[in-house]
Amino acid sequence: MIETILLTIGFSAVLAFFIGIALAFFSQKFKVERDPKIDEVRGALPGANCGACGFPGCDGYSEAVATGRAPTTKCSVGGSATAETLAKIMGIEGGAAEDRVAVLLCQGAVNKTVSKGQYSGIPTCRAAKLSTGSVKTCAWSCQGFGDCTKVCKFDALAMEEDGLPHVNYDNCTGCGLCVEECPQKILTLVPRTRVGSIVLCSNRSTVKASVIKTCKVGCIKCELCVKSCPEGAITMVNGIPVTDYAKCTSCGICVQKCPTKCYKMLETDVFGTKKEVPVMEEAQA
Amino acid sequence: MMELGKIFLLALLTNNIVIMRFLALCSYIGMTSDVGQSIGMGFAVTFVTVLATAATWPIYHYILVPLNLTFLQILIFILVIASLVQLVEFYLKKNVPGLYSAMGIYLPLITTNCAILAVTFENISFKYNFIQSIAYSVGVSLGYLLAMVLLAGIRERMKTSPVPKFLQGTPILFMATALIGIAFMGFSGLIK
Repeated sequence: MIETILLTIGFSAVLAFFIGIALAFFSQKFKVERDPKIDEVRGALPGANCGACGFPGCDGYSEAVATGRAPTTKCSVGGSATAETLAKIMGIEGGAAEDRVAVLLCQGAVNKTVSKGQYSGIPTCRAAKLSTGSVKTCAWSCQGFGDCTKVCKFDALAMEEDGLPHVNYDNCTGCGLCVEECPQKILTLVPRTRVGSIVLCSNRSTVKASVIKTCKVGCIKCELCVKSCPEGAITMVNGIPVTDYAKCTSCGICVQKCPTKCYKMLETDVFGTKKEVPVMEEAQA
Repeated sequence: MMELGKIFLLALLTNNIVIMRFLALCSYIGMTSDVGQSIGMGFAVTFVTVLATAATWPIYHYILVPLNLTFLQILIFILVIASLVQLVEFYLKKNVPGLYSAMGIYLPLITTNCAILAVTFENISFKYNFIQSIAYSVGVSLGYLLAMVLLAGIRERMKTSPVPKFLQGTPILFMATALIGIAFMGFSGLIK
């Protein structure tokens, strides 16, 4: 009896020992030289696997960076800090990534706009846009079903009582998933450090009366901003005023002149606060 | 020689391990989304099966039987198969990295692939000699490869076919396998 037990243990141990030796030998023989930089880069990445860089996850991106196929600035989640670390690992200069955040170019809250009627279809922005064109009379407006909030992986977007998604700029990493998701394409990525004025309206209609009818806070194409800007930094492009940030001095004249208050200062009105409502009161005062 | 051919054909067609005996279904369903991948998996399994047979048959007959340790065969065979899979993994990682990353979890899972363990046990229970065992293991693993390629080809067509929603995914694959099985029953009269 005891003999069987001893034989069992002895034989298993001997066999396992030889297999272990053989495997150790083969693992040396078939060793794959792996660039240690890949692991180093991978360690420096945030690991969100969001795919905003355009590569399949953080693993794919770290391999591309380590082999020099991708720039070190692609990771929007890590922002400039990660880009600097990656540049240091790779030993290259100029790792400053643009740290960007998403901004909603629409102020069409439910009490500021006119809806076409009662929509009772599938409650997503995409479905509403497909079936009705737009649930509000403004064809460029936020549909308000929160498709963007559902794709956000960083808890940076939330639908609030005014029926608009609000960006939490502390959490937003600028990955751009919401920008991709929005069927109206009214979310845009803006550098976090940008200063100057921005128009929070996407209405491209050039007919003034139609905008006044549809929205209380829409751009009515009066072009007062264009005329009043002392730097000549504002031009009308496709029916919407666009600020040239190389010229803009943040004087705030356009914000004061705008009759529907759709012009805002990025540094104070947009990034300075999390809620839009008190901003409007400030602007009016 | 006739005997060996008979064993080989029986294992390959009449008693096809996947289609007629429904073993090794995990990797059969998991690795057949692409014909190229399924061929790679088939050859990896072939390699491991044949080597496992060549290793386990002498261990059983020259060590376990004389020592009266035949009850150890499950443990020892799994140990041998696992280390062979490890060897294949080293090799693929070095020489075929594309296939290595495509196989993902299914490569380590060859370790627990029941087809391989079944072959090594059956070589013992069918009382085959060494040469017959090798012929049998080659037949079984090529049969596995054949089944994989057949299903992978069907799946590529399935991608564009209107499969009813309640059958999408694994159910339709099992139904396709059953239909292939009916066709394979035609081979049952092949060898007397």
